[in-house]
Amino acid sequence: MELLQYSLRKLLGGIPLVIGVTLVSFALMVYFGPDQTYLLLGKNPTPEQILEVRQQLGYDQPFITRYLGFLREIVTLDFGAASTGEPVMDLLAKTMPVSLILILPGFILGHVVGLMMALAAAYWRGRWLDKLIMAIAVVGMSISFLIVIIGFQILLSSSDGLDLFPVRGWNASTFADYLTYVTVPTLATMFVAVGYETRFYRSILVEEMSRDHVRTARAFGLPESRIFVRNILKNCLIPIITRIMFSIPQVAIGGALLIESYFGIPGVGKATYEAIVTGDQPVLKAVVSLTAILFVLVVILTDILYRAVDPRVTLK
Amino acid sequence: MAGCQPPAEAGRGRSDLKVYRHSLDQGPTTLDPVQGANVYANFVIVNAYDTLYSYKYLARPYELKPNLAAGFPEISPDGLVYRFRLKPGVRFVDDPCFPGGRGREVVAEDLIYSIKRHFDPRNQPQGAWLWQGRIAGLEEWKAAGSDYDQPVSGLEALDDHTLEVRLLQPYPQLVATFAQGFSALVPREAVEKYGKGLGVRPVGSGPFRLISYDTARVVMERNPHYRQEPVDLAAEGYDPATQAFSGVEAIQGRSPPFVDRLEFNFINEPSASWSSFTKGDEIQLTVLPVEQVDRVLASKHPVTLRPEYASKYHLYAGLEAGFIFTAFNMDFPEFGYNEDPERERRNKALRCAIIKGYDWQGRNDSWYNGLGEIFPGIIVPASPEFDPTLSRASITRDVAGARRLLAENGWTAENLPELVYGTTTGTTERLFFEQFRAWMHAIGYPREKVVQKTYATFGDISRAWKRNQLPLVAKGWGLDYPDAENTLQLFYGPNGSPGSNDANWENAEFDRLYREAAVMLPSEERTRLYREMNRLVVDDCVAITGLSRTRIYLWHKDVIAIPDREILGGFWLKYVDLVPDAAAPAPATGT
Amino acid sequence: MSAGSLWGKAARKFARDRLGMLALAVVAGYFLVAVGVWFGWWASGWPDLTGSKWEPVSASHWFGTNVIGQDIFDRAIYSTATAFEVGLVVALAATALGAVLGAFAGFFAGSWIDDLIVWVMGVLDAIPFYLFVAAVAFALAGNDWSMHAAMIATFWVGTGRLIRGEVIKLRGMEYVEAAHSIGVPETTIIFRHILPNTSHILLVQASVMFVGAIKAEVILSFLGLGIKDGMSWGLMIDESTKEVLAGFYNNFLAASVLMFGLVMAFNAVADALQDALDPRKVS
Repeated sequence: MELLQYSLRKLLGGIPLVIGVTLVSFALMVYFGPDQTYLLLGKNPTPEQILEVRQQLGYDQPFITRYLGFLREIVTLDFGAASTGEPVMDLLAKTMPVSLILILPGFILGHVVGLMMALAAAYWRGRWLDKLIMAIAVVGMSISFLIVIIGFQILLSSSDGLDLFPVRGWNASTFADYLTYVTVPTLATMFVAVGYETRFYRSILVEEMSRDHVRTARAFGLPESRIFVRNILKNCLIPIITRIMFSIPQVAIGGALLIESYFGIPGVGKATYEAIVTGDQPVLKAVVSLTAILFVLVVILTDILYRAVDPRVTLK
Repeated sequence: MAGCQPPAEAGRGRSDLKVYRHSLDQGPTTLDPVQGANVYANFVIVNAYDTLYSYKYLARPYELKPNLAAGFPEISPDGLVYRFRLKPGVRFVDDPCFPGGRGREVVAEDLIYSIKRHFDPRNQPQGAWLWQGRIAGLEEWKAAGSDYDQPVSGLEALDDHTLEVRLLQPYPQLVATFAQGFSALVPREAVEKYGKGLGVRPVGSGPFRLISYDTARVVMERNPHYRQEPVDLAAEGYDPATQAFSGVEAIQGRSPPFVDRLEFNFINEPSASWSSFTKGDEIQLTVLPVEQVDRVLASKHPVTLRPEYASKYHLYAGLEAGFIFTAFNMDFPEFGYNEDPERERRNKALRCAIIKGYDWQGRNDSWYNGLGEIFPGIIVPASPEFDPTLSRASITRDVAGARRLLAENGWTAENLPELVYGTTTGTTERLFFEQFRAWMHAIGYPREKVVQKTYATFGDISRAWKRNQLPLVAKGWGLDYPDAENTLQLFYGPNGSPGSNDANWENAEFDRLYREAAVMLPSEERTRLYREMNRLVVDDCVAITGLSRTRIYLWHKDVIAIPDREILGGFWLKYVDLVPDAAAPAPATGT
Repeated sequence: MSAGSLWGKAARKFARDRLGMLALAVVAGYFLVAVGVWFGWWASGWPDLTGSKWEPVSASHWFGTNVIGQDIFDRAIYSTATAFEVGLVVALAATALGAVLGAFAGFFAGSWIDDLIVWVMGVLDAIPFYLFVAAVAFALAGNDWSMHAAMIATFWVGTGRLIRGEVIKLRGMEYVEAAHSIGVPETTIIFRHILPNTSHILLVQASVMFVGAIKAEVILSFLGLGIKDGMSWGLMIDESTKEVLAGFYNNFLAASVLMFGLVMAFNAVADALQDALDPRKVS
């Protein structure tokens, strides 16, 4: 009951955020965004035709009218059709799962591998292994994502390299197909993420390990594994939850824009980016409002998770 | 089904379907013919829908042929009334929008309906320019509120298979407009049921029907009810001397379409397209990326492959039916029209000097591997009216001459006007600009007076063109039909901004000749007028022009085709076939 | 502990960090290269067409030439200056913005000023980064500074949150309350007494954002949202995406190796700084 009340209160509290996100994004992407009129005109247009298209697109209406119309669309969750003619919700239902299964493996592996490396580094803190791992992490952080993608593509997919995987495209109809298409993007995503994740995990692990109660436990001769699970990992959970939870909107909506456009994968990141480039208002409006709503949900869920792992945290 | 042999064994693929995987460097934005302006959309549209006319598969230069029409129209002696006949018994594909889900017959009223859609602003139509001011009654119909139940005075279905079109003035290009995707026959039932959804769900009577459509891929399957029309290669313009290598003789006497599944893969990056192509089991056709030319070609004139590629791929070098050019916007007084006649005279000298300083060969070498065709004027080599006798002075770089011309007309580094070069964002466009700046630097233009203005999107730069905001308009133009009128109209005075005359050039003599030629059927006299107009454009130094790019198509040897993408897009895809069993030794058709 | 002793200890600690000093020397080397570009000592010929298409490495073209015959070495060197421009502009502006807004939010925590600033931060956090940057770049269509503006608008948030937290801690300190009680104006307290005590955080944040900006520039150039005038590593790498599979690696290697060197060195400097300035480690 307390939880429900709390969630409702938080949801209401999230309304300003939703309004903020939609207002900023609407102004940027839709109001000041690209003007579709001139993309939609025929080859030898007359001034009347230009006016007609502008009217059809609603560009002739004042900002506030258009924004209020947008809010109405959010409440009814009806954003109309994209410029291809496809209903926007269908488009999102088609593209979001693609982005999810595209990014999740790299995302999870990045965290898992990062955590393992961080454990090793933190355990042998200050020793050569720690230094080696941290050096690798800095190298990983210093290479641009784009360079990594190009490098992996040449190495693994091109006929000049190992030629093991498809150069581009997407097919997830069978698990084997999925694996062949997801491998290179996953490796690239993971490669870029590991450096950051290792440093992140190492820093929180080291912080927890140097706390007094851990030292005390050690002094009492408790087994390392038990100290690790009871005293260290548990206390690390809060920053870990924060980090993972707040990546969710980025993963679900931003998709892996770069991966998707380089590998030609029809995910939500690419669809959104194309909508920005062409000024496809209905798609932009839908993505923007979904982002805002998802963000609010994540904030609430994160708070609830905090409480679940640490009862001392109060929901306020 | 005559001539459609299923492969004896299942190939390497996952089924025994004949699948052809085409690739394009971009995807369509919509599949609705009412917005089918670009070549990418047309690739799908002309395969999903029927048009009255099409182009012969193998004839170059391009020649029209009847498609859904039973023949060429009867034209009244004054050239104002056209009577078209449609083939009977052609059906739309089965679709829930029809009663009982079964596709009904395609009738003349469907074409009338489809043209009307271009005059209904609610559709954001793109094809109206083909017919407005030409076909009687369309403007009135639109002014009265675009009510589809109301007739258009110039379009009448005499019966289900006869259409009469009445024109306001002779319009010899009318037949060609009925080959364009814009004129594809759309059933009213589908529009009423799907509305905007038609953009992702074509309902037509073409050789293929859509299975799926997303931003990366369109998949189509053969239309099982497509009309039986055996191929007559001679009538398609087959030239054994140059085309036998492709194996197209194998389709003689059989009815298209020949493949069960047609895929379009949209691949923006040329390198990705190339890798996918060379893997062998992905896309089966690619345009040879500029970056690969030196690696893949053994010679450029003529274009031949190195042996290791020649053993695997077929090649065809097709000259673009279009061109790239840069027009001066004459409305800018600093180098166009000016109230002061003396300044106007000096402006012309400035324009001529810039044209002299432009290095077409450099552009060709850097970006098109020297394979593009540079030509003077605005009648492109792919037009039947191309003028090979025109002086090449306007496309020959002459730095000393340019400097002299500037000096003689009082132009100095101090008084030269700023040149604003508008482009969309992108590395290639930026390098275009840097090259241009370096050439202008060579004729004495201070570097800081040649500036790039970038636009985030093509829509934004189009807006700047249409609003008359850019002094230099660098663009490409693809022919809508093989008739030089299509490029000459780019410089016709009344087409000034926001029309297609971005140069806002107004030349009384040119405009007079244009009006005279516009109502003429193709003839030597008309060609003479066209060429005269072409010379006027060159003489007034109004555009830096031009270059037609050569596209080199490579395709796997198990594909039987002569590919192309000009004029219409994919009109030839229904003739694509696969060598029956790709794993078996290729038949004698391969070289 | 006063700010002065913190900096003194940190400087001594940094000086003992051999890796950090080496990295600092590398960064200084890059900076000299950039200074040379600004003063026109070298690489001023980067826009000239000095050769033909894709010339290989030679004595006159150390890294060969690009597709239109420009010298890749000159372009890569010139891009060093661009990297510093982008990195410094973004890092300084975003740090300043984050410091000021974060300090105000922290100082007035609980009031409407704090609510407003936190709300803005929340809003900016909620919009996926590249989509936001793309949107800003398109909205400012064609403006020379659109990329910088987009990065600044998002980068400051992290700094702002850190500073806000730190200031909430600091404002309870005796010396702040003392200043308050003798009637020192609030803005003076913030700028004179509180912000200087967060400078160690700001320095580290600025170095992190410097690197972030250089890396983001590459991605944004690939997306067509990069710098408008001049030349940059991102533009060279974007140029190279069309060339690498043709076996022409000069653009790719020149830009990515130079960029990697600077980013790597800067990351190491940032790490060393963080170590040196961490008060827990100093004490």
